[in-house]
Amino acid sequence: MRHPHLNARRRTAVIGIAAATALGLAACGPEITSDEGPTTGPGSSEPPAENQLVAPDSPEGEITIWDRSGDLFEVFEAAIPAFNERYPDIVVHHEAVDIDAKLQNTLITGTEVPDGVFLDDARVAGYADFLWNLDGVLEPYLGEIAEYKVDVNSTTEGIFGVPFDSNPGLLYYNAAALEDAGVDATTIETYDDLLAAARDYADAVPGSAPIHLEQSPFLAQLQLEMFASQLGTSIADADGELRLDSPEYEQILTFLDTVQSEGLGTRAEYLDPTDIAELENGNQVFYPWAIWFDFAPQQLLPETSGDWRAMPLPAWEDGGARSGVMGGSSFVLPSESENADLAWLFYEFLMFDEAGYTSVWGPSEVYPDGLNTSIPSYAPAADPSEPLFAPVEALGGQDLWAVATEAGEQIPGTVPTPSWWAGAVEYLGNDLQRMYDDDLSPQEVLASSSEAIQTNLIDRQ
Amino acid sequence: MAALTAARTRRRLAPYVFVLPFVAIFAAFSVYPLFFTARLSFTSWRGSGAAEWVGWENYTYLLTSSAFWSSLANSGILWVLIIPAQLVIALLAAVLLNSARIRLRGFFRVAFIVPFVTPLVAVAQIWVVVFDTQYGAVNGALNLLGLPDIGWLTTTVWAKPTLALLFIWKTTGFIIIILLSGLQSIDGTLYEAASIDGASRRRQLTAITAPLLRRTIMFAVVLQTLAVFQMFAEPFVVTQGGPYSSTTTAGYYLYNHITRADLGTGAANSFLLVLLVMVLSLVFVRLLRAKD
Repeated sequence: MRHPHLNARRRTAVIGIAAATALGLAACGPEITSDEGPTTGPGSSEPPAENQLVAPDSPEGEITIWDRSGDLFEVFEAAIPAFNERYPDIVVHHEAVDIDAKLQNTLITGTEVPDGVFLDDARVAGYADFLWNLDGVLEPYLGEIAEYKVDVNSTTEGIFGVPFDSNPGLLYYNAAALEDAGVDATTIETYDDLLAAARDYADAVPGSAPIHLEQSPFLAQLQLEMFASQLGTSIADADGELRLDSPEYEQILTFLDTVQSEGLGTRAEYLDPTDIAELENGNQVFYPWAIWFDFAPQQLLPETSGDWRAMPLPAWEDGGARSGVMGGSSFVLPSESENADLAWLFYEFLMFDEAGYTSVWGPSEVYPDGLNTSIPSYAPAADPSEPLFAPVEALGGQDLWAVATEAGEQIPGTVPTPSWWAGAVEYLGNDLQRMYDDDLSPQEVLASSSEAIQTNLIDRQ
Repeated sequence: MAALTAARTRRRLAPYVFVLPFVAIFAAFSVYPLFFTARLSFTSWRGSGAAEWVGWENYTYLLTSSAFWSSLANSGILWVLIIPAQLVIALLAAVLLNSARIRLRGFFRVAFIVPFVTPLVAVAQIWVVVFDTQYGAVNGALNLLGLPDIGWLTTTVWAKPTLALLFIWKTTGFIIIILLSGLQSIDGTLYEAASIDGASRRRQLTAITAPLLRRTIMFAVVLQTLAVFQMFAEPFVVTQGGPYSSTTTAGYYLYNHITRADLGTGAANSFLLVLLVMVLSLVFVRLLRAKD
């Protein structure tokens, strides 16, 4: 005989158990506070734990190192034997990983956390809660590391990245095309000079648009920050307060707006088919960009390879800084990893030991003439008189090492890149493009981007 | 007696034991994340330390954010551009592939499914080159006809249709397979009877095929609606949500919160998206039932 009330009771019990299980499961998350701010981390009311990394007593064990795939992975891979000569008892597991896609989840979950990670400078401050504080171990080297590079790896609580490379902004120019047009690029010292040279070139070569204007919102914002860095400013100050709506940014945007409105700019995405074609056909002859643009004449511009040269960026005013920083990377050591102290030895060797930085920047299978897409940020390694990489044939045999190291010395100090920097592309990066479309004036870009970034990013931190 | 009781207990427990593996996996990978996300959506949490309880703030922020509504509108427009066109193409292709008179049916069936199994990243790279404004093959063809260049991926007017075209090209093969299986379940004697009664092929299509495929079509619509509103990879690879966020779909907008480690807002956004997709699915199911 069936008992309906019994079935109903059983059903209720099952539902009750399921609900209790679900709620129990849901409770297995982060601790929730109702305070003004979290108990740890940014905005915390309590001082954070020091979390200082200490160098190991016994250099022995295994480390897992994450690098992004590509040429730099190969460069670091080739440097491991030199490291093992110094530290034979440390086994390096070197993995090519899509760091942007994987790191955040790995750090949050704390599972299979690598001991060292290659990371864009712009992301270091955002991950600081998950990383070892490197104040102590970096202390002996701090005086010799480029000031801005230490700044971008720092928060108010400490230094969280081992500085890797320096990416000084340079002005690449097609010397052959300019010479044919009767324009002497070597006399350019300020952005006004650059505008004048571009006008002369446009007059001599009808249909040309000599200066590159970046169409990718992300890279356009990165380039804007390079210009700002020359002026000693950046999107946010050391406290994370927005400082975009300023005379410095207005000066930069006015310059870019002038290039656009006078038809002096080729608007294209960095090295996309249009960009490459316009570089090859001589329509685009000025490229203010980070040192890593030299990859293009070496690999992507067969027609004009050898015609290109590099010089320090023009200054915003007579006597001003002739370079700014654009991009760059460092190495971080996650605090949840097992052998971060051994990973520190790996990075210490690569960056601060002559045998290490020579194996990174010197000739290798990947770069037979040396790694010339960046320079070291550690001064003894970046000695202008002792080049680690050879003159670049694609730049007509120019000594890029000397140009870049001298430019790098002029980069003003800066502040950490705010964690919301990439999110700002949706506003500032897009508004820059709207300015190029003549939809916004420089002042409108600054006003609208500032408001949107404040409301949607900073206020929601 | 004891043996009888034990046997009865075993019989009673058996079904629960059989479903236990599924329930365990379902609880771990569906129920737990669902409740975790629900809880997270009421907090401000960046992945470390304690989360701060913020009540409905994340939901309020999203519901008053023009970017959120614009991402939904982008997905809505893509839905309009994709679903009707895709259904018509898929239905015609499925009917043709179901016909015994078509030669090389096997070849065509494989050909239609190839885009679906081709990695999106590879396809997207080709798309970017083919639709390049100055040097793309599509504009090259237009120029041959005396037509001007079009900014397929660089203008707000054309970026969505270009993305829709990619989605249609990539996924129509899958819909063809679904419709083909529906077609093959229709009793062939219905067509024979209709032929004897003098019904033309078009009449057979509208009076037999379409009505009997309605459930299959609805299934395809629900499936594709989910796919369109969750669309992420296509804008991520081809346009990065641009130009000017015109291809920032609901799925891509959600991803943006996660990359900024704004996990609470991301969780709230997912719930709003789930709610929307549930409502849309229910509407389609209701439409289906109403006709039944």
